[in-house]
Order: sequence, then structure tokens, then C-alpha cells
Amino acid sequence: MATASLIPLNPARGVSDYDLLFDCVHCGLCAEACPTYVVTRCEMDSPRGRIYLMKSLAEGRIDLDDDAARHFDLCLGCRGCETACPSGVHYGRLIAGARSLVEQNHRRGFVDRFKRRAVGAIFPYPHRLRVLLAPLKLVDRLGLRPALRAVLPRMIDDWLDLLPPLEPDLRPLARGATIAPRTDAPTVVVHRGCVAQVLANSENLNSERLLAAAGYRVVQLEPTSCCGALDLHSGNGSRARDFARANVRALKNSGADAIVSAASGCSVAIAEYGDLLRDEPQFVEAARAVSSKVRDLSSLLLDAPAGPKHEFRCRVTYHDACHLVHGLGVREAPRKLLASIPGVTIVEMTESDLCCGSAGSYNLTEPAMARDLARRKADNIVATGADYVVLANPGCEFQIAAELSRRGSNVKVVHLADFLAMASQ
Amino acid sequence: MSAIDRKLLDELGEIIGAGGIVSRATELKVYECDGWTVEKRAPDVLILPRSTAQLSAVLAALHRRGIAFVPRGAGTGLSGGCLSLNAPAMICTSKMNRILEIDFDNRRVEAESGVVNLHVTNAVKSRGYFYAPDPSSQVACTIGGNIAENSGGPHTLKYGVTTNHVLALEVVLPDGEVVELGGPAEERCGYDLVGAVVGAEGTAGIVTRATLKLMREPENHRTILAAFPDADTATRAVSMIIASGIVPAALEMMDQLIIRAVEEAFNVGLPLDAGAVLIIELEGLEAGLTSYADEVAKTASLAGASSVRLARDEAERALLWKARKRAFGAVGRLAPNYATQDGVVPRTCLPRILRVIADVSRRYELRIGNVFHAGDGNLHPIILYDEREPDQVRRAIDAGREILKACIEMGGSLTGEHGIGVEKIGEMPLMFSPDDLRVMTELRHVFDPMERSNPGKVIPQPGACVEVAAPRRQAPI
Repeated sequence: MATASLIPLNPARGVSDYDLLFDCVHCGLCAEACPTYVVTRCEMDSPRGRIYLMKSLAEGRIDLDDDAARHFDLCLGCRGCETACPSGVHYGRLIAGARSLVEQNHRRGFVDRFKRRAVGAIFPYPHRLRVLLAPLKLVDRLGLRPALRAVLPRMIDDWLDLLPPLEPDLRPLARGATIAPRTDAPTVVVHRGCVAQVLANSENLNSERLLAAAGYRVVQLEPTSCCGALDLHSGNGSRARDFARANVRALKNSGADAIVSAASGCSVAIAEYGDLLRDEPQFVEAARAVSSKVRDLSSLLLDAPAGPKHEFRCRVTYHDACHLVHGLGVREAPRKLLASIPGVTIVEMTESDLCCGSAGSYNLTEPAMARDLARRKADNIVATGADYVVLANPGCEFQIAAELSRRGSNVKVVHLADFLAMASQ
Repeated sequence: MSAIDRKLLDELGEIIGAGGIVSRATELKVYECDGWTVEKRAPDVLILPRSTAQLSAVLAALHRRGIAFVPRGAGTGLSGGCLSLNAPAMICTSKMNRILEIDFDNRRVEAESGVVNLHVTNAVKSRGYFYAPDPSSQVACTIGGNIAENSGGPHTLKYGVTTNHVLALEVVLPDGEVVELGGPAEERCGYDLVGAVVGAEGTAGIVTRATLKLMREPENHRTILAAFPDADTATRAVSMIIASGIVPAALEMMDQLIIRAVEEAFNVGLPLDAGAVLIIELEGLEAGLTSYADEVAKTASLAGASSVRLARDEAERALLWKARKRAFGAVGRLAPNYATQDGVVPRTCLPRILRVIADVSRRYELRIGNVFHAGDGNLHPIILYDEREPDQVRRAIDAGREILKACIEMGGSLTGEHGIGVEKIGEMPLMFSPDDLRVMTELRHVFDPMERSNPGKVIPQPGACVEVAAPRRQAPI
């Protein structure tokens, strides 16, 4: 076990983040906004507690032992605390620094190391994920998934739970095949993400179709690489910055006025490139420009003249994906959009903005806490009596769908883009 | 040498399960202070019971060994009330967070003490009710903590503080005995033992359950924002409004320093050039509200308001209150640390005390902001400092002390709602004679004869001493 006394929190970047810790005035208003505190009800699993651990570490008052690492690991990175925080603490940046410190100075157990390496080696690369899933696609086509699961070890089995049924890919939007936008229409690019383009590409494609139908010029992004959020959230800052640079180049070249992602975690990662690349003079300006162009699908659709609306009679409850609501601050736009569909009744669920436990790859690395939160979320969803739960992030979709299907619920989980596409048909 | 040994840990573990005991140094570190961060000491063991039975068994086990303990709720207190002072064990009620019964017909709710204040209102608001005490920390603080500190909030002006809303309590005494105090009836006879426990800051055992009164939501509100050129004019307006015969539900003031911090944090549209603003909330039956609001606006203008604005809708009202209630935290944008004082003065003395505060700020070379419950004269000077500079810490403590002294001299009180804790224990003799303090001690002994429940709080003891990060004041009595 390595000790980290007196190691500044973010050694690679000097001690600047130590000062940021002092934005926290220890008021404790964040606690109930923190999903892990809500579950464990212990201070070290609250944002204030974690910040206190970081401060104590930086001051050499505690060592980076298993306990400290454990409580940083347990953080979902949902940023619910940032919404609650009156002092403007940059919690996202602080926890990213703490995670780097853990990665560099703390040795985990074998299973933990294996899981984290597997996630890092596969997920950011769509072609690797496709290759890996090809046999499973066949298994699904033959209806053999239950048989396969019976013979797999527990951990892999739990992971499979989270995989949606693998369906044939939707046909991508043909280049230029838009509803002839005005020449002065703003251009939008949909960043298709890494995992999302393999497991949830309909959400990307429907986002593009909806934007095109609303009169935006949709341009394609070449090449699309992972936004880097997975790395940033698992303490691998250097690879996160590699991905960020690649994306900054591609997004800048796309010439888009607005950048959208069907995965809100990716949106926030891109919106924070300016901060992530702050110490790279040759990139920081372009990164800031790219970051400032991040929008969310629902706000863009609300801004545009509404298309034809058919009646779609159903009860819908809306789940706030963490990074959309806490990262981008988008709460009302998706609800307004849903409410504008004739026949749709919105029923608010309790704790709609409390994390469902998906949190990127968190449900793979911290399955117990993720499951607790999924159960809580499913309880709140079922209590509304809704037919659909609509959300704007594929990770939440897989996580919530898995939990609802485990309990035999027939509430359907649908991404906002897919829901709007469905409702407009 | 810690009094917590393996044998005791095993026994505690048997009572509440290993998940409810924290005994490793790294984890205990985060429990070394609450919202009062000047003084720090981590407990040797933290115990998180899930029920009254568990909590009672834990206290009995500690009692057999003569071990002192400190109760804690959410740790949002501002006076160090749950600082682990001379008490090796900390008992946290955060896992006792069930709302047990809601009785709309009798307008009361029974809840465990770890329930978050706002969650009580959330549980009843769909039927048009609410729980009145609304401290600024209400999104996180617990009912148990509110009872310990006799917490108030902006709406104290109309509804009173926590003690006015507690009907009955279940308390576990320091030897583990469970007692029921008060009852469901609105009027009681005999000594008010509930009143003795509310505000005792955990020195009378640990509250595990409370029966609370529910209030009916008023039919409507009018929330007025009045800007003034300076704090003097604003506070004079406060007295004029109350003197006009209208008692608002809340009457809050923020000075320029706070306006700027809040505006940066929440973008409420407060006038940045104003020296002070008042938030005045009227509530009641719709009929009459408009004329009251006009009357208040007129009075404010007469007093010298530069602008008076009515919140257009519920969203704007909510934003104003969000800004007001999170003002403390917003101050975190101005300085790394702050100490909030909580003195009370008669309303008419507000202009005078604010001048004292401004003078203290100048002499101690510390920035001090004011955001407070002007309607009932409950001040909250927020003294900004940086804990990394020992001299600043010392000045902050002395400045706070001087302000409190002035409050007492004007016929006020040391605390309106934050409690004495460790923060103001040294000032208790300013307000109470040795006889007063002796009688308080005797009353405490009825509940806690060995002084093992939250030792070292509220009542100063001669010679009490603890090693802390900052110079602690000892009270000579």
C-alpha cells in the first residue's frame, strides 16, 4: 500500500487544485443530493466528506489507504452535489484529481484491476466492442442468451444483464438527405460516442433525423473517437486528454455551430475540454471554442419551429440523466418537449434527478452500490404508474431497463430521441 | 489512551452490526468537525444505530463503562455542537430517517430524529401542509439537530422556532433508558419537559423520535424585494414595517457583500448597487394580501427604498428564497472560511448593531457580511477568514466575540438559532450569572447526572480544556 502524505492532490498539475478545495465551506448542503450518501448515510460517502478526505490527504493528515481509495471509488461522479452546492465547488475537477492520485499511488485487488483494465481497453474503441459482441449477436439471434448466462461466472453474468438486446443497426442518415434546410440554418453535429454508436446508435440517428426535420443542417463528424469521459472518471487523465485533442480537432474541422450528443456524459466531457486542456497552450483556445458549442438535443428542438404533431396517448415519467441536469443544467427543456406532444401526460417521479447507478462504467466496477440505486430508481418509476420512462442517456437506459426487467415490470425505457421519433411517426 | 477497546467494539458490533460501526482513523477524520470548522477533533468510534432499541442498547453499553458520547445528525450545525469534545464515542442518527406516521386530521407527523427537515414538508405538501421551522440548511439538516439547537429560519417571525412545533419526544437518556416526554395534545399541564430538551444541544440524552405540528399552507404569498442605499436605511424600514401593524411571515436582510456573493452564485437579479436589500414575505388569504403588499411597499419607499419589486410568480419567489437560504454557502466564493455569528438584538437596535459590526470589520481588518432575520432582530454577521493563517483565525474569533458582547449590551442574546455549542460557550457568562448557570447544570443533571451526553457544550465548566486547532476560550466562573 502506497502512502501519499504530502503528495499534492494532482501531482502532474502542481498544487493548484489544493486551493480549489477551499471553495468548500463545509456547510453540508450537498449531502442529500449525493446518491451514495443517500444510500450509506455516512459522511465519508458524501461530497463534503470526500473533499475533506482530499484536503486531509493533501495536508498529510491521513494516508491514501484502502479506506480513502474506497470512498473516492464509490463516488459516481454524477455532479448532483454541484447543483446543490452554494459555494460553486468544482467537484468534478476535484474528484478527477483524486482519482488520478488513487490510480498512481494505490494498488487495487486483482478483480478490481481486471475490471478496470477491461473497461479501459474495450469501451472507448467501438470496433473492439463490436468484435467482442459479434458472437453475442449470434447468440441473441438464436435466442440462446439465457442458456449462455447459465454457464458464465457471476461477474460476467451481471455485466450481460446490462446489455440491451442486440438488434440489427439502423440505417445511418444518408449524407445530405435532410429536409432541405435553409442555407442560413445553423449546422449541428451529433457526436456519436463510443459505446453509444455500438449499443444505442438509433439514438444518434434519431437525434440527427429530428434535428434535420427541425430545419438544422446536420453534418457528419469524421472521425469520431471516445470523448474521454470514461478515462477521466477512472483516473486516466493522460489518455482522456489524448481523446480530447482528437475530438477538438475533428469537431473544429466539422465547422458545426452546435455539438450534440445522445449521451449526456459525453456532452459534459466535451463541454469541459476547455478546462481539461487548460495547461496546453496550443489547444486550449480551440478546446474552449469547441466546449462553448455544446448544446442539448431538447433545447435545440425547442428553439426550432415544431414539426407536425400526432397524438400519442400515454403516461410518461422523465428521468433526469445526471450529466444533463447537473452538468449542463438542462431540466425543463426535455419536459417541455414531451409535454408538447398531444396525448402525453407527464407524471413526475420522486428523486427524478438522483443517479440511477449507471454512471458510465460505474455499474460494472461498483455493482453493489449501482444495484442499490437502480432499485431505488425502479421503485420511484413504478410508483408513477407510467407507461414509459424517458431519459436522455443510453447508460441510464441500459441500467434502468435491466432493473425493471428483473422485476418483471412492463414500463418501457426509451431515449428521448427515440421517443420523439416514435411519437412523430 | 482511548476508552474504546476491542471488547467494546465487538459488543457494539453485536448490537447494530458491523456496518453501523466506524472505527478506522481515515474514516473518522471526516467526523472531526461540523459547520463550525475552527475546532476539530475526531471521535474514537462512530456508531450509526438504525432504531431506538439499538441506540438505547448502545448507550447502556457506554454507560456501563462510563464513556461519554456526542450525538450528531447531519453535521450542518454552525456552533460546533457535535464536536467530539471529551467524548470518545459519536452517535450519528443519520440512519434513523423514517417518517413513522402522518396524521393530517390532527395536523401532526411522527418522525425519527434523523429525518431531514425538508423531507417532512416534502411528505405532506401534496395535501397542502408544511413543517414550519425552515433553517437555511433545511435541505440537509435533521429534525434531531433542529431540536437540539432549537432551530429557527426565515419564517420564525410568524411561526416561531422549533420548540413551538414539537408536541412530544422520545428521548434515550445517557444510561440507555427510553423516556417519552410530552404528548399528542396541543395543550399540556405540568412542567414542560419537552421544552427542557429542545435547545439542550444534546446534553439531555439523544432524541430518537419527535411528534411535530404541521401547518396549513397559506392560500397565497406576496414576496417583495426592496433595495436600499445602505444598511442603516434598510434596518430602519424593518422597524417601520412592523410598527405599521403588519407582521410579515418573513423579513430578511442582505447587505452589499452578500448581495454580490449571492448574485454571482444564483443570478437572481438583485440590484448590485444597493447597499442592502430586504426580502419581505406576506402570506395569508388572497383577499387583503394585495392591499397589505401595497402598504408594505409604501412604507419601504417612505423609509428610503430606492426600488421595490414584487416577485412575479412562484418561480421568482423560489429563486429569491433559494438565494437567501444558500447565502451562507455562496459566501464560500469570497473566502476560504467563514464564521457565522448568531446574536440577537431588539429590532430597534438593528441600525446601531450594524454600525458596531462595520466598525469591528474595520478594526480587525476582516470582511464581514450580513444576511439575517431582520424581522426578529436575529443577526448573522459572517466573518470571512482563511484558516491557513493563524492570525486571521484569532482575529475572526475575537471579532465575533466583540459583536456578541455588543448584542448583550443592547439587551439581546448570544444566539437566535445556531446554539452555543463550543463556539459561544466562553460568552455564556456575559449573559448568565453563576447562579443561572448552576441552575441550568442542576436541570441538566435530571437527565444526565454524570454529564456524559455531549460534555463540554452549552454550560461552561471551569478548567475545561481540549487540544484544538485554534485557541479555545475558557470561561472563568
